Amino acid sequence: MSEAALHYPLTRAVLDNGLELVVAPDDGAPGVAVNLWVTVGSADETPGRTGFAHLFEHLMFQGSANVASGEHMATIEALGGTVNATTSSDRTNFFETVPRGALELALWLEADRFSSLAITPENFEAQRQVVKEEKRQRYDNQPYGDLLELLMGQHFPTDHPYGHLTIGSMADLDAASLDDVAGFFASWYRPANLRLVVCGPVDVDEGLALADRHLGRLDALPGGRRAVVPAPKPVGPTVATVTRDVPHSLAYLSWRTPPAAHVEQPAIDLALAILADGHTSRLHRALVRRGGLANEVHRVNLTHRSTSSVAALLGRPVDGVALPRLAEAILEELGRFAGDGPTAEELSRAQAQYEREWLWDLATTSGRADAINESWLIHGSPDHVNLHLAEVLSLTAADVAAAARRWLDPSAVQQLHYVAEATR
Amino acid sequence: MIRPEVTLADPWHFPEPTITRLPSGLTVWRFDLPGQHIATFEVVVPAPLTAEPRGKEGVATVALHAIDEGTVSHPDGAIGELLEGHGATLHGSARHHYSTLGGQAPVRHLHDVLDLFVEVLREPAYADTDIAHQVEAQVASYESRLASPGAAARLALRRVLHGSGHRDGRPASGVPGTIAGITAPDASRWHGSFFRPDGATLLIAGDLPDSDVTAPFHAWGAGLRSSAEPVSLAPAQPPRVVVVDRPTAVQATVLAGVRSVGRSDPRWPALRLAGQAVAGAFASRLNLELRERLGYTYGIGGGFAPGPEASLFTVGGSVRTEVAADSVARILDGLRLADGFVQAEIDDARRYLVGVAPLANETSADIVAQASALAAAALRPDFMNRHFADLLTVTADDATDAFRTEVTPERTAVVVAGRADAVVPALEGLGLRPEVLDLRA
Repeated sequence: MSEAALHYPLTRAVLDNGLELVVAPDDGAPGVAVNLWVTVGSADETPGRTGFAHLFEHLMFQGSANVASGEHMATIEALGGTVNATTSSDRTNFFETVPRGALELALWLEADRFSSLAITPENFEAQRQVVKEEKRQRYDNQPYGDLLELLMGQHFPTDHPYGHLTIGSMADLDAASLDDVAGFFASWYRPANLRLVVCGPVDVDEGLALADRHLGRLDALPGGRRAVVPAPKPVGPTVATVTRDVPHSLAYLSWRTPPAAHVEQPAIDLALAILADGHTSRLHRALVRRGGLANEVHRVNLTHRSTSSVAALLGRPVDGVALPRLAEAILEELGRFAGDGPTAEELSRAQAQYEREWLWDLATTSGRADAINESWLIHGSPDHVNLHLAEVLSLTAADVAAAARRWLDPSAVQQLHYVAEATR
Repeated sequence: MIRPEVTLADPWHFPEPTITRLPSGLTVWRFDLPGQHIATFEVVVPAPLTAEPRGKEGVATVALHAIDEGTVSHPDGAIGELLEGHGATLHGSARHHYSTLGGQAPVRHLHDVLDLFVEVLREPAYADTDIAHQVEAQVASYESRLASPGAAARLALRRVLHGSGHRDGRPASGVPGTIAGITAPDASRWHGSFFRPDGATLLIAGDLPDSDVTAPFHAWGAGLRSSAEPVSLAPAQPPRVVVVDRPTAVQATVLAGVRSVGRSDPRWPALRLAGQAVAGAFASRLNLELRERLGYTYGIGGGFAPGPEASLFTVGGSVRTEVAADSVARILDGLRLADGFVQAEIDDARRYLVGVAPLANETSADIVAQASALAAAALRPDFMNRHFADLLTVTADDATDAFRTEVTPERTAVVVAGRADAVVPALEGLGLRPEVLDLRA
């Protein structure tokens, strides 16, 4: 495991206005990644005001003092760069990867929109319509489109900060005034809530100087801070059953697990992988290959920055097998696993797979910049990106078994039985 | 503060592989990519799906996806455990005109992994239960595609453009009626006939060891000749306007397409730039119109996608049902190119396609994917660099002329997946003659 510690060089700094940044030089990179995390996500929204964080993911491309609507994206593309943005419950991410000679322009574009965004009635209305189409395209018009919302609903009440989808309620967006959304921007889009990672063929001094020249001129106004997120009230095990027009029935078994930074999260991740990742996993062997109960099994780990995360195992039953029967079989296998723990081979396979996936996440300049920002926000240190793999590879079978016993307790499971109409 | 000036570097070059040929007929393209600690490898074999038995279409996909469930030496999942233990993953894809099987692994495990990969190529066990399981998974996957509006629209466009009478018009992985009867001997027969080194190309990329990474491949199938037959292209089809009825849809998914020329055509560089300017970029004509100006959609995308022999131009997006017909009208009108391209549009498209190349080819997987497509098209690896050079010489008039000769509204097939009760009358209102297409028929 001697190769597990990674050595990506990172230099961390703070601008006078409070904006924090990391420069990660990489001479071999094909472009420079500019990755900005705004530490606001849908979990910072209040009931009746959902969807605002994601709305700004859109509005940020609609123009500012010196940049026309759509020009930011068009400019980067016309330089041969890539550019986009994403929103989660925990952060809003704006990013572009550009040719080395366009780094300063990218930082200038970012500074312009963060300092002078055009929050106009026209832009708001146009993007409200685009967001409605995004919601239809991603959720309402897709099979299983409400599955995530149902799953999270089993763990968080709708008025909990993590109790609504990131895209938000379209009724809330319809009811929002321009002042409402402008107020959201004013309280969150401040230097103190920005983390910039610059990764690529740029030396530290130049990266810091360029960031300071452009983003350093943002006014040092106080930014909003995430309120203390209450722990969701404990609930006993439940079974929710819904029937939908989908091709196949699915059983989701899920648990509340600790926040993303918790020391046991990597062990939970390995436990889930050993149970349900791929055709050599426990559940695949027991229920698909041998048991004739399931056609496929998978795992999901949805981690949260400020409250319980959610881990899930899911299965698609063989025709004629009812979802409760499949769920029971999954829990039986899980109980056995928690008791005995993984074999040495199972653990070593899961760690080898984790290693490839982690190195793959870091294999692109843009992927590495994003991983650095994630390490920073979730673990409090950008350098965690260099240490994480060693942490995962040092876990023992006993660690994984203990995490499974503590966090994947069959008596605490939430079940979602998603029944295909045709098989009722 | 004044907008900073930009300096763009010289165009990037696609890496030059070391090419060797083994006695078995296997051609090897080796790309040494310093710093890429995860290696990617892939075998490309000429295996046109026209060779599948008509009643067992999908057998190529079954044979590929079940290939690592067990080998004669390591049956019943044991081979998968060994591969996973080395941090490797395998994946395969049976396309209409060729198949690929490959994987990824940390470079330090590469020798062990390639030994196992060759074992998979040489002696897949194809146990009856594994084939039965893959048959079920493939039928389920087909049902999932029909349930997804985007995937259903793509299935419909394929049928309309190539005709259901030709293999290219039918799904590569078969339909439930053809998949259901596929057996282990069928899979073995397909694999034995087409997964042969003669005529195949091995692509391998990463921070590779100095040693001969092809050594394990000497054990693969020497003396076997490929039984691949020449590819036949589907005859041209009349353009149709079809609606895939989805009575409960809350959006209409629009997809328009035209078959066009392949990479070897002299107009290819001009078409790539034209496609980017019409539908590929965020600032493309159609995305600016339908998303930014009208708010009809989350986004319009498209462009020319090359295949081994020909290409496909597509443009589409998901729009509000009540503006579906207006969206189709605006898309078709945009394809008419009443106003030819201006130089700035083509310059932007060119800078994107040339400039994004190093970012799009950053990893070993990117290089192998591009190289695999070239090998399947019988093109040399230096094609990409000639293509980048050709892009530099295209004028706005070249792009306009090429696009107008290849894409016209009259030749464009249109698919709308959505509510037929709303969409059909609206399309008729445009003077089109929409037909409702039943994908199960």
